Amino acid sequence: MVICILAFLWIITTILTGIGTFNAELLTTSALQGGYFEMIVGTIYLFLGAAAIAGPIGVFAAIYLVEYAPSGKITRIIDQAINNLAGVPSIIIGLFGYTLFSRQLGFDISLLSGWLTLSIMILPIVIRGSEEAIRIVPKAFKEAALGLGATKWKAISLTTLIAAAPGIVTSVILGIARVAGETAAILFTSSVIMTRGTPSSPLEPVMALSFNMYVKIVARGEGPESVFDIALILFLIVVTFSLVAIILRIYYRRKQPWLS
Amino acid sequence: MTYADKIDIRKLNIWFGEKHVIRGVDLKIKANAVTAIMGPSGCGKSTMLRAFNRMNDVIKSCKTTGDVFIGGKNVYQKNTNVYDLRRQVGMVFQKPNPLPKSIYENVAFGPKIHKMAKGKSLDAIVEKSLRSAALWEEVHDRLNDSAFDLSGGQQQRLCIARALAVNPEVILMDEPCSALDPAATAKIEQLIRILSSDYTVVIVTHNMQQASRVSDYTVFLYLGKIIERGETKGIFENPQHELTEEYITGQFG
Repeated sequence: MVICILAFLWIITTILTGIGTFNAELLTTSALQGGYFEMIVGTIYLFLGAAAIAGPIGVFAAIYLVEYAPSGKITRIIDQAINNLAGVPSIIIGLFGYTLFSRQLGFDISLLSGWLTLSIMILPIVIRGSEEAIRIVPKAFKEAALGLGATKWKAISLTTLIAAAPGIVTSVILGIARVAGETAAILFTSSVIMTRGTPSSPLEPVMALSFNMYVKIVARGEGPESVFDIALILFLIVVTFSLVAIILRIYYRRKQPWLS
Repeated sequence: MTYADKIDIRKLNIWFGEKHVIRGVDLKIKANAVTAIMGPSGCGKSTMLRAFNRMNDVIKSCKTTGDVFIGGKNVYQKNTNVYDLRRQVGMVFQKPNPLPKSIYENVAFGPKIHKMAKGKSLDAIVEKSLRSAALWEEVHDRLNDSAFDLSGGQQQRLCIARALAVNPEVILMDEPCSALDPAATAKIEQLIRILSSDYTVVIVTHNMQQASRVSDYTVFLYLGKIIERGETKGIFENPQHELTEEYITGQFG
């Protein structure tokens, strides 16, 4: 409790300090002129691409695990592996991504390598969240569809999935919130200090807010004050996404009487 | 009035894991009549009903032997298309289970998945089905509202309309009124009587009054076996078997 309050106060302090040094013009100014434009766009590119990859894979994995997987040893191992994946330190996932995507597959330091690496981090969140969303859909929907002569897949895709959609979307957004500020995973795989403009293809490297903070402090030896405004932008992006997820959840819970 | 047989059940046995739920049932069910399967809770009524449209297939631990002929075709034959079977043999469940869609989309769901109609002809099927389920007058001006906005009784009639929309021959009802109040129950019972002129209706109930009110024929099932069967009037006025008499006089149940 005390730690929570302290953490909260610290966050508020960060925000206030950030606001103090904040200059809205920098949002649209190129990094070449000392602005943040490419980093903001790069950060958004990174998490949207990662979500686009992890979203469908995660949802299909969740459908498989809830509706199709036989209960047995292999399913239990897969289940445990997903839990473990969620606990792997991001620097190790970054290293894995660097080895596999950047080196072995030859994607180099690029947006694509970053997407794939970040999608590994999002995946367990999407799978667990979607599983939960699918599980709470009443069995009666699927049964009604089966009773009308729907195939199992049709019953699931036309009733269960549609009813679970809000929960699934929420899980993807939470996944995004998890990786939007990720640094270690993009450190070796996709980010660079400076680019000329935003990437024009997935095989080009990107700038990112989190990486920029890291560079400023570690490589350039600047004081923490120099990155407070970047921290604020990043913080607001993450909070916005989490808030959207919470609002969506509340909104749909009202629209879904079977959940109450 | 005599009826032709629509469903012919021979040596039906059903197990759930080790539990022998239906024990060698032979039964003929008349076409265009209402047959009630009554018996105490847990006697296997619902399980037997779900064998007719092979809804038990969904349950992994369930094993079925024997034959069920519907309209002369054995539904347990290897080459039976279960999806088509379930279209022909509609089902109404214990608790109203509308889909999380609009009233219109609920009724249109079956015709859509079977690619039976679209556009104007789909509209016509929806209207006809809702009329047949005595719901049209109450919902015709709000077809796009959520099905969950309807009352419990209306939801159950919507589920009946949904089953009718795919042109079934048989309608199975698994205690369709157990979640409804007396007024809504009366409406459904009235509807069942009307439906029986076009469809073969099999209704499972543990409510004896309901069986006596709606059905032409009654089957008394006890511990997975048929104890007595016959015309409803005869069963209630002059039961042949001691167990039947004890059940309908309320000595157990």
